[in-house]
Parts: sequence; structure tokens; C-alpha cells
Amino acid sequence: MTGPAPVRVEKALALMPELEALAPLRALLVSIARPDEATVWSSSGPYLTLGKRGVHPDELRRRMPQAFHRITEHLQALFKAYVEALECQQRGDAPGVVVALLRAGRLEEEVGRHTQARNWYEVALRVAEALQDRRPEVEALRALGYVCLALGEYAAGARHFQRSLALAEAEFDQAGATAASEGLGDVALAQGQWAGAQAWFSRGLRLAEAASDAPRAGRLERQLGVLARKQRDLAAAGEFLRRARERFEVAGLADEMARVLNEQGRLDAQLGRYAAASAAYREALAWVQRAPRDARLELSIRLNLAELDLEAGRLLEAEAELRRAEQVAIGGHVIRPLAQIYMLMGRLRGAQEDETGFVFFEQALELVKAVERSVATEAEVCHAYGLFRGRLGQQDEARAYLERARELFDSLGEAVERERVEAELRALSA
Amino acid sequence: MNSPVRMEPSVPSAVPRREELALLRILVVAGEGGSAGGLLQNLRQWADDGRLEVDTAPDLPRAVRQLAGQRWDVVLAVLGEHPDDDPSWWVDTLRGATGSPRLIAVAQAPSMGLVLRAEKSGVLDVLSLPLRREELVRALERVRSVASETAVPLPLVEPHAVGPYALVGQSPAMLDVYKLLARVARSAATVLVQGESGTGKEVAARAIHMNGPHASGAFVAVNCAAIPENLLESELFGHEKGAFTGAVTRKIGRFEQAGNGTLFLDEIADMSLALQAKILRAVQEREIERVGGNETIPVDVRLIAATNRDLKEAIKQGRFREDLYYRLAVVTIRLPTLVERGDDLMLLTAYYVRLFAERYGKRIHAISDRALELLRAHAWVGNVRELRNVIERAVIVATDDTLRAEHLPDELRGEETTLADRPQGGLLTLAEAEARHIARVLAHTNGQIGAAAEILGIHRNTLTRKMKEYGL
Repeated sequence: MTGPAPVRVEKALALMPELEALAPLRALLVSIARPDEATVWSSSGPYLTLGKRGVHPDELRRRMPQAFHRITEHLQALFKAYVEALECQQRGDAPGVVVALLRAGRLEEEVGRHTQARNWYEVALRVAEALQDRRPEVEALRALGYVCLALGEYAAGARHFQRSLALAEAEFDQAGATAASEGLGDVALAQGQWAGAQAWFSRGLRLAEAASDAPRAGRLERQLGVLARKQRDLAAAGEFLRRARERFEVAGLADEMARVLNEQGRLDAQLGRYAAASAAYREALAWVQRAPRDARLELSIRLNLAELDLEAGRLLEAEAELRRAEQVAIGGHVIRPLAQIYMLMGRLRGAQEDETGFVFFEQALELVKAVERSVATEAEVCHAYGLFRGRLGQQDEARAYLERARELFDSLGEAVERERVEAELRALSA
Repeated sequence: MNSPVRMEPSVPSAVPRREELALLRILVVAGEGGSAGGLLQNLRQWADDGRLEVDTAPDLPRAVRQLAGQRWDVVLAVLGEHPDDDPSWWVDTLRGATGSPRLIAVAQAPSMGLVLRAEKSGVLDVLSLPLRREELVRALERVRSVASETAVPLPLVEPHAVGPYALVGQSPAMLDVYKLLARVARSAATVLVQGESGTGKEVAARAIHMNGPHASGAFVAVNCAAIPENLLESELFGHEKGAFTGAVTRKIGRFEQAGNGTLFLDEIADMSLALQAKILRAVQEREIERVGGNETIPVDVRLIAATNRDLKEAIKQGRFREDLYYRLAVVTIRLPTLVERGDDLMLLTAYYVRLFAERYGKRIHAISDRALELLRAHAWVGNVRELRNVIERAVIVATDDTLRAEHLPDELRGEETTLADRPQGGLLTLAEAEARHIARVLAHTNGQIGAAAEILGIHRNTLTRKMKEYGL
């Protein structure tokens, strides 16, 4: 009556070569993977990871038309954007060509194909560079800047934003200059260059306020809040976030409300106000549902909420939240944050001094290498894995993982995290 | 073995009586205007003689904000067309709100699918607009029914402590297990412990170890299903430095760690055939080799294996080695399910309440009759492990000396059916019964339509049509 047992995801993925054409099939396979009922309550249940979930080949076959439909829709939209670019070319409307190509790039970004998006943006930039009106070029450079940021190519991102800013200023394009300042601030923030980030965000904020651009001003205030929190100026962080929240609430921007409350939660957590932090995250979750679907934002909030519970020693709640996040990530085809989810699950087991928790770090590393390919996340996972091994008294292994984390943070130019790892390595040697 | 249970003297009920109840505070989440406006007007009119205090929030985010500030007993959510009007999302978002308010959903002509989803999420009731006073009163009565719960004192359990673990139970099924454990423990025989998930296989293995000739050695447990297949071999046998990528140091495996003690291999059926062969060699020859090493290392461990699978069936299917089975199953112990253990449920409940009350600094002496009823009615697929989990969560949220139904998770409270509370005396229509049964089977198969259709004995297309019809 029960039929053949499902195939484990780890085995199913091992049968799939690393071909780009198979990426949608890989995503579909992962999204339909389920733990079987027996596994949930078995002694291995608490250690369940993506690899241990099961898939039924017949279900995969049955769901294939849905995947084809999504692929077709995506390709149709891309082809349509390209044909529109051609029509603009035929009409001699070069700015229209740029707009169409940038749209195609955004479509690629929406499905997480950042490298492909960059290709579209580069073509758009080539077209824009030949124009007398520099605003399309400003926009293409900005798009390139953000896609480089998403790919962890910070230096290239900064170059694009710098050029975008110079052109926007020359053209008296205030909106373009504000956006480029924001982008430069984002790059500096990602690299832990606090002074640079402060300067760029403040400059952007002045420009946004002068142009009465409330949403952008709110975003810049939120980023200044993030920065102030990272610099431990918590009063200033609170003030920036309060102002951002006021702007977004008036404008009724649900996604921005969710983002600012997510950051408010992190601030409250840093202040040791766990109840306030929890309330902020829950309100953020309520807002995120009122905004257009954004699984990444929801996952970010859930991960912060789980981390809060973990730090407060509410391990059951932390685990439940992480399992909810895992379900959102798997069901929503958002595989990237899974590595962070498993890293936190590993930390949770470490807090319980449970040696078998290593399986979560191993799964996170596998995802980072096979699916996510993010140096920043790999660095974070190695860092947490090193601490986990250290806690269990496995000093040599702890050192190896911390050294790997240091090497990765180095390659990113991430100064602050690198210094933290360095300090932990010194403590280990002492 | 002696009976592990002694009844404590009865404690007086700590549950307040209905007439002592304060006002019921209801937060209505609905935008002003339309049918919601009418609902608010009615509620305000009914508030005075219904001992209700009513306030409003325009939407879920603002409701969360209000709930963070003060305690509410009930959230009355007017569901509309918005995407966040999914009852499970409401329950998820309200989790952790001050006082754990119960959720009542109100919708224009709620579909069967909405009712079932709400029920599954732990929503107290689903009411239709326009709201009728008697329906609301009946739903609120269920919130207030907490006052009519009677406290039942928890029996004092004297567990047969096994280190930090315990065997609790005095059912005939467990007494048989105790007798077998006592006989087996004295020998050094390899033991196979069988039983469904959560029945306590590791607890039994520890009991054998602690009462056997290897008690002075270590007890090392390995969960074969939890560890990725490519890492399990090095976890069991260890590895030499540089044996493979990531082998940064020499690692001592679990066989060696167990030394002169006991190695417990849990969920052994999940091991690959190649690794089964290596285990067989270790059991037969009493020696191992580390991965990437040439040295043969003698091991003197008692082996206890456990599984929740039918190993004989696995042998027939070629997924488990017959020779290894006979090596492991020198003595087989089968553990009963929680349902087979009858009144052990009460003893285990009492044991875990005390364990977790001590851990979380609570003073809990009793459980309400309604909570006990819900525990008894539950299917306990996860057996004792599931019960332990439920009790731990309940103890965390309990605020006084009695564990009540409201402290139990939504899944259990959801089993207090909403559909059954209907004017015709709890009787369902045929369609309602069918929809509920289909929903239950789908939950059982984790939403797999093919498997559900097979269980229901209908064609997949018929099931798909019915799911559409009932909004499942």
C-alpha cells in the first residue's frame, strides 16, 4: 500500500551532473523533497537535512510540466524583452533598447541568475555608452553595480557605482546620484568599511531629502541604522530606524516596513531587549505577508528570530523557527539561505554539546559548494564550524576551519569578520 | 520489577472557576467599513452584557504591535481577499504573543478548505459573516471553558534511573520488556532493539549497558541515519590524517571510542550494503582499520543495534545483509508503542512534567482533565519522543501550577474539532465527513496525492476533483 521508498535527495543530486540546463530540475527536485512521517519522529529526525529528505520519481515526473511552464514563462519574458529591444533599435530609439535590455536582466535576477543578468546589463551598457543622453548609462551602471554586489564582486561593484555617480552628477541627475551613493554605501558596508559607508549613505540621504524622495530617504536611514548598530552606536541606530519606519508607514510600503522592523529586531537583540526584538520580528513577518511575495526577506526575518531564540537559550523555539524557515526555503525554491539555516542548526546543537550536530555544518558546506557558491556564506559556515569543533574540544579541527574562514574573509576584503576570526585563532592557540 | 509509581495526595484545583473570570479581552482585526464595520458595531453592542472588552486593529501587522503591548484573550480575525488571510499564517505570526490568545477566524461564506486549514493550524473556530451572536458566544465559551477544567494531581513517578535517562512505565507490555532487559544485560550478547520511532530504543540500550559487564566502559551512540553516507565510515572507524579532502587530522572512530564499553548503532537499516560488510567484519573479527590506514586495531565492544524497520523485509528486498542480521539479532527486544502501553501515558506525562518543570524553574503539580483528555486522544505517531516534546513545550508556556489544554500545541488543540461544535449536536454532513477524512489522509501522506488516492481506494483524478470541490 505504501509503494516504493522515496530516493534520498543526497543520492538523487549525486546522479545529476552540474549542467546549467538542469538547474530548474534541481530546484524542482529540492522543492518537492519531503521527510517521511517515520523520519520526523525517529532518532535521526532532529538531524534531518535536505540531503536526508526523500523524493518520489513519479512525483518529479508529474510536476515536470509546472517546471516547464515556469521555464517557458521566463524565456517568453526574456525573448519579449529582446524583441522589444530590437523594435526600439529599428525605430532608432536607443534609450528604449537600454530599457528593454535592463528589464531582461532584472528578470534574470528575479530567478537568481545573477551571472546571466550581468550579461544583459553589459550589453545594455555598451548600447548606453554610445548615447548622448547619459541617464541610460547611469542606470545600466547602477544595475551592474548591484549585480556585482550580489555576486560578491565588491571591487567591480564599486567601480560601476563610482562611474554611475560621476555621470549622474555631470548630468545633474539627482535621482541617479542618490542611487549611486546608496550603492557605494552598500558596497562599503558589505566590506566592513564603516567610514566609507557612513559618508556615502549620508550623502545619499542629503540628496534624497533635497529631492523629497521619501522611500529612498527611508532606505538610506535604515542603512545608516544598520551601520550605526554595527559600530555599536545603538542610540543613533534607534533614531535612524525610527525615522525610516515613520516614512515607510506613512507611505504604506509593506516590504520596507518589514525590512526596517527586521533591523529594529537586530538592534533590540543587541540591546538585550529580547521581548522587544521578538515583537519587532513578528511584526516584520506580518508586514512581509502584505508585500509582494519575497521569500528571501521572510527567511532573513525567520533566521534572525531563530538566532534571537538561540542566544536567549530558547532552544526549542529556535529549532521550531529554523524548521519553519527550512520549509519556506525548500518549498519556495530559495535554496541559498538553506546553508545559513543549517549553520544555525549546527550552532544550536553545539549549544547542547551534541557532537552529531556536525552533520548540519557538513550539509551547509555542501550546499555552499554545490548550490549557493557564495564565498561570504562559506566563510561564515567555516567560522561557525570551527567554533563548534572548538567547543567539543577538537582543537586541531577547530583551527583548520577557522583558518579556512580567515582565508575566505581575506579574499573578500572583509576586515571586521577577519579580525574576529583572527582573535578566535589566537585564543585557541593560547 | 517493582511498580515505579506512587500516587501523591490530591492537590486542590488551581484552575479558577468560571464566575471568577475577568472580562474576556477581544482584539478584532478588521478594517472599518463594509461587513467588518457592521461586525464591529455588533460586537460593541454585545460587549456590555457579554463581559467582553473589545478593541480593534486595522490589519495583522498593527495587531501584532498591539499584542506585544498587552495581554489579549482572543483575536477575532476578519479574513478577506488579502494573501495574509491564510489562517496558518495568522497562527504563525501570533505565536509568542503575550498570553497566547486564541484565534477565531471570521469570513464571508468560509469554504470547507478554509475550515479544514484553520482546524489543522489550531484556529479555535471559523465563523461566517454576518456574525450571529449565538455563534460567537459558543466560540467564546470554548475560550472560557478553561475555567471549567478540573485539575488532576500528577502521580509521583519513581523512575528506574539509568544515568541521565529513565525507564518509566508499569504497563504489562513494559513489564515484559523489563524482564527481558534484566536477563540480557547480564550477558555480553549482541542485542537488536526493535520498535517504532520514539519508543525508547536508546534508553533501553543504555539500560542494558549500565546493568551489564561493560558498564565501566563508555556508552557510545551513533545515529547511522543522521550522518551522511560518505562520512559514516570515517565516523565509525576513524581516519588517518590526509585520508581524504577534509581529513585535516587523525580521527579516532566510534568503535575505538567505545573502548571496553558499548557501541550503540541506531537506525542500522539505513546503512549502505558496503558499510554493512565492514560492520560485519568488525563484529566477526573484533578488529577494525581506520580509513586511509593500514594498521589493524583490535576492538572489544559490546554491540547493540536498533532499528524501526522490518529487517527481515529489508533482507528480502536485498537492502540488508542476512549474515549481519543474524550476528546482530542474537537477542531481539521489541519495544511497545505508546498506545500499546495504555496508562503509562499518565506516568510518562507526570515524569516529563516534573523533569521539565525542574529544568525551567516551574512549579507544576497538576494537569487539567481536558489536557489529559487531549493527550489520551492523540495518535502519538512519534510515541514517547513526541510526548516528551509536547510536555516540554507545554511546561515552557505554563504560567501557574496546572498544565492546561491551552498550553498544549496547536496540533493537539486543533483536534478539538471546530466542525463538531455545530447546532445539530456534533453530527457532520456526509460531505464534511468526507472532506475531513481526505484532509487527514493527505496529511498522513504529506500531501502526496498518489499515495492518498491509494489509501482512499479511489482514482487519483477522483481525489483531485474532490480536493478541488472541498477547497483542500
